[in-house]
Amino acid sequence: MSVALRMRRGLACASVVALAACGGDGRTVLTVYSPHGKDLLEYYEAGFEKAHPTVDVQWVDMGSQDVLDRLRSEAANPQADVWFGAPTEVFDRAAAAGLLAPYKPTWAGVVPPEAKGGSDLWYGTYLTPEVIAYNSDAIAAADAPKDWDDVLDPKWKGKVIIRDPLPSGSMRAIFGAMIVRGMGTSGTPDSGYAWLRHLDASTKEYALDPGVLYQKLGRQEGLISLYDMPDIASLRGRFKIPVQYVIPSSGTPVLVDAIAIVKGTKHADLAQQLNEFVTTPAALEEASNKFYRIPARSDIPLDSLPQWVRDAKTKIKPMPLDRALLAKHLDEWMRYWDSNIRNRSKKS
Amino acid sequence: MKVKADQRVSWALATPVLALLLWSVVYPNVTIIAGSFAHGLGYWRDFANSPSDREALWTTLVVSVGSVIGAAAVGLPLAFVLSRVDFRGRRFLQAVATLPAALPPLVGVIAFLFLYGESGVVTRAVQRALHLSEPPWRLTGIWAIIFVHAYTMYVYVFLFVSAGLERLDGTLDEAAAGLGASTAFRLRKVTLPLVTPALAGSMLLVFMSALGSFSAPYIFGGGLRVLSTQIVASKLNGAMGMAYVETTVLAITAIAALLLLRWFERRRSYAVTGKGSNTRISLRGPMARLAPFLAASLVFVLVLPHAMIVLVAFARDGAWTTQVLPPEYTLDNFKRLATDPQLWLPVRNSISMAALATALNIVVCFVAAYLLVRRRFAGRGLLQLLVVLPWAIPATAIAIGLASTFDRSAPAQLRVLLVGTFWILPLAYFVRGIPLVTSAVESSLRQMDPSLEDAARGLGASWLLAMRRVVIPAARPGLAAGATLAAITAVGEFVASIVLYTHANRPISMEILAQLRNLSFGTAAAYSVLLILIVLLITVAARLLGGRPERVETIPTA
Repeated sequence: MSVALRMRRGLACASVVALAACGGDGRTVLTVYSPHGKDLLEYYEAGFEKAHPTVDVQWVDMGSQDVLDRLRSEAANPQADVWFGAPTEVFDRAAAAGLLAPYKPTWAGVVPPEAKGGSDLWYGTYLTPEVIAYNSDAIAAADAPKDWDDVLDPKWKGKVIIRDPLPSGSMRAIFGAMIVRGMGTSGTPDSGYAWLRHLDASTKEYALDPGVLYQKLGRQEGLISLYDMPDIASLRGRFKIPVQYVIPSSGTPVLVDAIAIVKGTKHADLAQQLNEFVTTPAALEEASNKFYRIPARSDIPLDSLPQWVRDAKTKIKPMPLDRALLAKHLDEWMRYWDSNIRNRSKKS
Repeated sequence: MKVKADQRVSWALATPVLALLLWSVVYPNVTIIAGSFAHGLGYWRDFANSPSDREALWTTLVVSVGSVIGAAAVGLPLAFVLSRVDFRGRRFLQAVATLPAALPPLVGVIAFLFLYGESGVVTRAVQRALHLSEPPWRLTGIWAIIFVHAYTMYVYVFLFVSAGLERLDGTLDEAAAGLGASTAFRLRKVTLPLVTPALAGSMLLVFMSALGSFSAPYIFGGGLRVLSTQIVASKLNGAMGMAYVETTVLAITAIAALLLLRWFERRRSYAVTGKGSNTRISLRGPMARLAPFLAASLVFVLVLPHAMIVLVAFARDGAWTTQVLPPEYTLDNFKRLATDPQLWLPVRNSISMAALATALNIVVCFVAAYLLVRRRFAGRGLLQLLVVLPWAIPATAIAIGLASTFDRSAPAQLRVLLVGTFWILPLAYFVRGIPLVTSAVESSLRQMDPSLEDAARGLGASWLLAMRRVVIPAARPGLAAGATLAAITAVGEFVASIVLYTHANRPISMEILAQLRNLSFGTAAAYSVLLILIVLLITVAARLLGGRPERVETIPTA
């Protein structure tokens, strides 16, 4: 057999393999971009596929900012159908960039005003408070930091691990809140920057992704972190990682996690059905029971939700945040932080 | 008449190849450069004024120089000892010494994390043994990156210098000794000057590889800035203008290094002519008894990352917390891979995309190499430049270029929508494979007696027949070697993939990252083991198909 013939065969074979990779099992693929994590996503995937046997739900787990970046890159050829989860400020920027398709869910009337995007481009699903997390094997509950400023205590210097804030909606929200909180009457971000500089001095390391963060907390490479409550609360159950959380006493940003249909989806109808599927009262109650999520819908009776949600509702003091201000300046603040604050402080 | 017909053949072959290279290699880079000037000099001013970008550029250079020093510090003595001293275990060590280069970039980095990371096996073992309350070191920052680079890149120095020493005539050294020169004097005045060109070439190779390195800074930079990660961060922040400037700066630095490398290569020709009769010193006394143990421990260190990946692949996820070694073992990680079609998809994707890219590489690069070696025509200089360019340009820059050029369909601008499709990754892999395959085929064709093709034609064979019966068989060893390298690089590719992948065509490397994000270290390691096996399989298959693959001296990594 001549080499030329062999090469032709190789080519033919390669393209057959490629075609096989493109095909599937014949079901319609519905692609969901989401930072909500494997367990929650697999749970709804199974439920939705059971109700729609011809649909194959495929989710891609990534940070909120990663989702925005992907949608921007793929604008001419959208690969996702549904965007499930990210703080509303990220959705606002996606809406401004024309990446979302309008859809008014059946439950649009029963969400608080802060959980509604302009022109029906997104709607809130969960209320997500930010918390202080600590390794409960290494730190007794009584000794754990109680409020944001306690984290800056010198005794935690070098023991704080922070998830790389740039790709993370939660971390951006916390950093943004610290800046807005410090603005007070002066109106400048300077005292917020000073706080973040202190935090940087205490921070041992910025973790690449949530997985690395959880692992480092679990293995006691670091003892304290700031992150969102549902992810931290589920660590013990999901990975047997001994981490507990404290709801900051002076108040905490409560993000609204939202859902939207991606503009240019080829399965708008199914995308809308998935949107409805994950936001029925029953689905939201399940999300509370299994995945520590607090529903954004206001028509779900408190006594149908688990005890911890009722407790949390009394303990959480939502920090009043100017959303318009955040939407306008957060990118700029994060860039400043990245250039001028990150890793700039003398580490112990 | 025949000359004219030959010219026509040259052009008929050169035009499509040149067009393809201009379109897939040059055009995307022009898009990036044009994008960096979209606001006049605005983005460039921002770059010059940004402390983080200055820091990134500086750190990139420091990491690159550090990697060169580290790689030379390991590779140079090893090459000397292995080619000059005879001891038991020498041959085995020589075979194992190139092993780090076979580790796909992301896999190598993860192996180091499991081994030397703060809660890694070696770190914990040292901590326990010395009863320390804190881990003895932390695998972050510049030192961590240089450490990994030294491990993966010393292979270049080792291979180049070993080859230089093999060619070196041992009688020269003996003559100097006979004339009364001391060992140190001979090393300084005879041996070192003779291997300097090989050493310099390999050091520049390390420098360029470190310059574009992405995996190590990305995984354990811990917020450390180098240009390749800064580009991805700028894109993430929506600052595409900055990303273009950073990409341009990185590419220019790399091309400058390439020009320097070419200059050194031209100087390399002053090597000594001779048989290269090499005499090895046999060890005697206590050193002879000690040497096998030293060699064995070195082999152990070199194999450790591979072994670690295999170990974690059998570890039960979530069970490994504060122990030195994973406490529980299972076959579940591999069972899941084999039974869940969603988990198997990345494996199929990587194999099919690497096969496609390599097939295209074989065809295009064979024609390019044939033109470069056997034909004289007007566009030859341009072709020569185009086939090395993708080697100089870091993979991150290649990916950003493809992503911003083929993000829409505009036939008038020769733009095709590839972003979000299956095809963009095979195209990226193809571009990365061009220099590997072309240079391998070129070296095979140069060994062919040029009069053979002419003789065949003179005896009445058509050009096509001469091609099939003479040229292609002569190119076969190079094709096999080059295609092997290209396929190996493509199947484990990470740096361009992270920018360009879609969920439907996600390659193994992206799935490894996704599994890490989800704390499924066992599954991530199982994928890594699979990747190492695929690499092994490709190498063996190429040996069977194309005979003995020859040494190829340019192996870019990430």
